[in-house]
Amino acid sequence: MIVRTAAVSVIQSALTAVEKERQFINDLNVYPVPDGDTGTNLALTARAVVEELEQSEVSDIPSVAAAVTKGSLMGARGNSGVILSQIVRGICEVWGQANSLDTAVFKRAVLEGQHAAYRAVKTPVEGTMLTVIREMATAAQAVPDGLGLEHLLAAVEEAGRVAVENTTSQLPALQKAGVVDAGGYGLLVLFRGLAAGIEDLMRGGKIAAGARLATRGFGAAVKTRLQPPERRVVVEEPSELSEFRYCTSFLISGERIDREGFEAFLLPIGESALVVGDERTVKVHVHVNDPGVVLSEALKHGAISDVEINDMHAQTRERDERLSSGPPMPALGEGGCVVVAVVAGDGNRKLFRDLGCHAIVDGGQSMNPSAAQLLEAVEALGAEEVVILPNNGNVILTAEQAAGMSPLHIAVVPSRSIPSGLAAMVAYDPGEDAVGNARAMQDAIADVRYAEVTHAVRDSELDGLEVKKGQAMGIVDGRLVAAADDIEGAFGGVLEEFARGGAEYVTVLTALNGSSGTTREQLEAIAATTAPDAEVSFHEGGQPLYPILASAE
Amino acid sequence: MSTAELLTLENTAVVLDSTCDPPDGWLDQPGLYMVPLKVHFGDQMFRDGVDMTYREFFAKLAETDILPTTSQPTVGEFLAVYEEARAKYDHVFSLHISGEMSGTVRAAEQAAEQVGNVYVYDLRTVTAALALGAERLRARLEKGCTLEEAHAYVRHYRDNGRLLIHAATLEYLRRGGRIGRAASLVGGVFDIKPLICAEDGVLTGYAKVRGLKKALAAMERFIDEHSKPDDEIWFCTIDAINEEEPPLIRELIERIRPNAHWVFQGHVAAVVGTHIGPGTSAFAMIVE
Repeated sequence: MIVRTAAVSVIQSALTAVEKERQFINDLNVYPVPDGDTGTNLALTARAVVEELEQSEVSDIPSVAAAVTKGSLMGARGNSGVILSQIVRGICEVWGQANSLDTAVFKRAVLEGQHAAYRAVKTPVEGTMLTVIREMATAAQAVPDGLGLEHLLAAVEEAGRVAVENTTSQLPALQKAGVVDAGGYGLLVLFRGLAAGIEDLMRGGKIAAGARLATRGFGAAVKTRLQPPERRVVVEEPSELSEFRYCTSFLISGERIDREGFEAFLLPIGESALVVGDERTVKVHVHVNDPGVVLSEALKHGAISDVEINDMHAQTRERDERLSSGPPMPALGEGGCVVVAVVAGDGNRKLFRDLGCHAIVDGGQSMNPSAAQLLEAVEALGAEEVVILPNNGNVILTAEQAAGMSPLHIAVVPSRSIPSGLAAMVAYDPGEDAVGNARAMQDAIADVRYAEVTHAVRDSELDGLEVKKGQAMGIVDGRLVAAADDIEGAFGGVLEEFARGGAEYVTVLTALNGSSGTTREQLEAIAATTAPDAEVSFHEGGQPLYPILASAE
Repeated sequence: MSTAELLTLENTAVVLDSTCDPPDGWLDQPGLYMVPLKVHFGDQMFRDGVDMTYREFFAKLAETDILPTTSQPTVGEFLAVYEEARAKYDHVFSLHISGEMSGTVRAAEQAAEQVGNVYVYDLRTVTAALALGAERLRARLEKGCTLEEAHAYVRHYRDNGRLLIHAATLEYLRRGGRIGRAASLVGGVFDIKPLICAEDGVLTGYAKVRGLKKALAAMERFIDEHSKPDDEIWFCTIDAINEEEPPLIRELIERIRPNAHWVFQGHVAAVVGTHIGPGTSAFAMIVE
């Protein structure tokens, strides 16, 4: 029982350390894909271990070690998480067999952690967490068995620190971005947390160390090193998108699973393939363009579960957005607030940025972000006062949930469309607090009507109008006002409706690069004749699904 | 000087600097002097409003990639003008661009120390708001007023004159560092044309609007905040290559203020134009 509690407290200490630097580790993440999730993946992997231990009732070292191995494998997320799970597995194998922990055991354990990690990766690359664990293991071997555990931990930590610093010059991608490797740094952070946890236990006399804790302030030294660095990652230009788009990971459960065979299947169709575990439970991680093919193949080996598929192109864009120099952040304690908006389309994103929006979460119709995603974007800004613009009727509730989950002052302005959100941004005053801004923004959009033009996906009758599949529909404030054979016709219907309402200023966001052949000039001509009294302003929005989004004030 | 002495157009001159952006020909009247600031396009230097008309300036601005810079007149240049004016006139009122926006008024003050009866004022504003102040002072001089009444009027204008600019873009202002709290305003993007006003001698954001109708509505609000419907108002319209808006602004003010008097239309010249950019309109007003 005491072993499990001790293990929980040590791993919890590592988890706390990585949670603290999660966002910074995410920001560092440029290799192999700049999808900005390494910190999150490592934290979730560590959390899975804590959860596995907390719900198990094992008490002896071999069983606890097995539970840790299982938790890390089941919970492993992303490339770095899976590699971490293998390091953990190697360490736990030695620890479980030895049934004790002292300097000699720890030395062998960390070496086996290194070997397990290298075994999992088909083509190891230097300048990654593999390099860091190897340098740590090598440094450990140089410490005499007779020295206390604290000396070993200090030596390993120092070797890790140097190894992490060197990663920048080892990998061109890191050098270009001017960062250290995210996985390597994350591993170091986890180790520092782990060491601090072990040191706490030694001081409390809860584990038998090879020697009593030396009087010098080793623990304090570890703790000061846990302070997050004052660095900040800035992305100057858009990152290159990965060749393979989807980060796919899942578990296969079965009998005598052919790991090598499955890995051989993955190698030609993807990148960063990892197939780890034993013959009954296998964790798979791979970057591919067609996750379906991978899942179908996996079904031949057993049952699949914990399927997770991430669009790394979207993640890369979000990371770029988050880390671009962007509008200046208001200094904490000086009042003012920041804006987080849910936006789809490159042109629209740029408009929101130009208007002073601090963070943009990808999303909109048919790709609504979760409350957790919104919260992550909000928390990454480090501001106390935040306004969220959901820009979609379906996201308003999610945004309100996110606001409710956070201790920050978050005000949700219920903008139902991207053009409404832009109208709200026009009223944004960076010097005003969230409540004041929300009020001004709400006023600004209170009388704004919004419209969309899109193609019908099936025959139907709506609001008394008949629409045939493929026809263009003009929808104003959620109500169908026009069905026409082409986009121009539907747009004309929208403008007529706007003009009837006395529109003075119409904003049109276009995404005309589809097959329709409609040009902006055609739309401008329609606007001039249909709504001659309104000023009409056109912008390239680039949103999916809707060739035209519009608003009228 | 006896207290009974009356100041008139015959014995009192008004000196301005070239940021007063006057109407065409207005400065040709006797008793008006203008000290030019300078505009530099790379190595080329032009005296604002002297070597180059505002139309020539904006044409050059449109065709060159060089970002013009501006510089203030020297003490010596002010001194020469003051001496010339004092040779013909007993008193000189010297009315200038806000000291927060330019060092011009400080050069004027130093020059004035060396010549008697030159009264330098920082009017805390810019562009034709300066010319409007001069014109309204001259209206008093035309009838004849005491020195104290003349000073009192200039102080009244300095403290109560209003300027509202409908800026086509803030890019120029921001580049030149000539904008105060308006720096947080976005201009130009998403067709936003901010309204900025002179406050405490600096340009400050008043409203962010898109579209002329909203701009006019915001101007109406501004006028309501600074005057009452039956107030006696003198105002001028101002433009930087913008023919559409000034007549609409004039129409608006005359409609909501029956006792409003349009004085003239100023044209933004090179120095203010360098910071404010083409396409801008504005108006200045004073309640008397």
